[in-house]
Amino acid sequence: MTELPLAITFEAFTNVGFWSGVLVTAGIYAVVTLGLQLNVGYTGIVNFGQAGFMAVGGYTMAILVLEAGISFWLAMPLAVLVTMAFGILIGLPSLRLRADYFAIVTLAMAEVVRLSAQNAQGLTGGNKGLYCNFEGVEQTCFDDAWKSLTNPFLEWVEGFWPDVDPLFPLLLAVWATVVVGIFALNYIQRTPWGRVLRAVREDEDAARALGKNTLLYKLQSLAISAMFGALSGFFLALFLTTIQPDDYEPIVTFYAFGVLVLGGLASYKGVAIGAVLLWTLLEGMRFVELPITEERTAALRFALVGLVLILLMAFRPQGLFGKKEEMVLGR
Amino acid sequence: MAAEDNGRDLLAIDGIVKRFGGIRAVDGAGFSVAAGSVTALIGPNGAGKTTLFNLITGFEQPDSGSVRFDGEEVAKQPAYAIARRGMVRTFQLTRALAAMPVLDNMMLAAPEQPGERLRNVLLRPRAVRAREREVREQAEELLEVFGLREKADDYAGTLSGGQRKLLELARALMARPRMLLLDEPMAGINPTLGRRLLDHIQRLRSEEGMTFLFVEHDMEVVMNHSDRVIVMAEGRVIAAGEPHQVRADPAVVDAYLGSPA
Repeated sequence: MTELPLAITFEAFTNVGFWSGVLVTAGIYAVVTLGLQLNVGYTGIVNFGQAGFMAVGGYTMAILVLEAGISFWLAMPLAVLVTMAFGILIGLPSLRLRADYFAIVTLAMAEVVRLSAQNAQGLTGGNKGLYCNFEGVEQTCFDDAWKSLTNPFLEWVEGFWPDVDPLFPLLLAVWATVVVGIFALNYIQRTPWGRVLRAVREDEDAARALGKNTLLYKLQSLAISAMFGALSGFFLALFLTTIQPDDYEPIVTFYAFGVLVLGGLASYKGVAIGAVLLWTLLEGMRFVELPITEERTAALRFALVGLVLILLMAFRPQGLFGKKEEMVLGR
Repeated sequence: MAAEDNGRDLLAIDGIVKRFGGIRAVDGAGFSVAAGSVTALIGPNGAGKTTLFNLITGFEQPDSGSVRFDGEEVAKQPAYAIARRGMVRTFQLTRALAAMPVLDNMMLAAPEQPGERLRNVLLRPRAVRAREREVREQAEELLEVFGLREKADDYAGTLSGGQRKLLELARALMARPRMLLLDEPMAGINPTLGRRLLDHIQRLRSEEGMTFLFVEHDMEVVMNHSDRVIVMAEGRVIAAGEPHQVRADPAVVDAYLGSPA
């Protein structure tokens, strides 16, 4: 059979498992980018370290469960607190710097976290990563509690939807987090607190001259962003069923920025839609059959996503849901 | 030079020094501003007026010297804390928050809004909303006074240069200051708007006893609208007194025109 150029296989529309994975990935990126939106879109601080916060959250949770024997459900809030504290620790010295220096510091921070995880093998398992603890009589894994909660639910769903994918419970949890996150962030954004944040974005000196402790607001913004980073770190760990340094490379943060730019600055809704679009585009193109080798198709996917972002910048720089006035007047 | 024995001084500055590298931008300047007065700060370009403003309001830290506001030392305090004490400044280049509506610019400046703390946003939403209603009313009243009422919902970035100056003054008033420091309030605005700005200053002084310190280059404004004039040159105060005294001071003439030799 001769291959048609640019044909799309029907598998693209019927593969439930594949698309469940894409939607979970998109949801994880939506969660992590919500924090980025708060920082970049509403506070004017350019945070290039979201992958680092994801890693701190994920590793802390897994270490607490596997090494300290703490319950998964308690380990998560503790890991969120640790990640937020870490964010404040990073922000205290660096948020006094100019925006571009702060960006460099956060990027470096994320890499320090990743490389530390790679080398602190006693605690993190090095490149093998963390999943289960085989030392005890009974093997414990960090997602045991998650599975024992969601497996009965999954069986119940299978009763009337036999084709359901095992990722379904995670998919629901991730997107519930996205929806709640969007509502919560939109709520606090409309309060006087959110107004001060916007003022910091517009002109920090003007805000200080009106009696606002701008460093405090930037720290809070970063801490909340770190919280969303930690949450997405948990979801990524549950999705991959392992925590490895490679999953927290700077490219993760840059994908999140792609989502941010696609959805538009200063719109939380745009983050969710941008995440779905970016990942549908990236993953959906696996099904486009081109008369070239698979590796080349894989490379082409990223080139095409890049092209989409370039066209977006050229013709709709505010993104899909950003406000053009705010973009033009803000500068 | 600071007159600490005089209880009527709201602001007293003494021996302020600020170096940038080898340059002494402010070199031991000192003066005081009486409560309820309008004081002009003048001097040739590079005399250190704007740097002095930054030092007084905490935007820069002095190398030495003291700044006392209402009897309290504020020289090492951060800018936001000084503003909260009631000494509020405007900037030479207006700092309208361009991508925010005019009304939000105003409401931002209101003090004692519990909703600016995240904790209260979550735990005391009713107190936040009640204060927000008060603040909105005050903001709308002030916009009315300054002739900006119909611009309330426009982005501040769409205002003309003169309107931005008015907005910045109105916004500073929302902060309920006891003293206002205006850096070149008349620069770049048309005479009609300038007139209105001066009327507002005189009214606020006489009706509310507000204290003003302003930097200005327009000598007509300085001579006719201030109680006292302070003249700076090369980082020091070279003369201070009533407008007619200062005008006749040979040191002032020298500073502006250059002394022979």
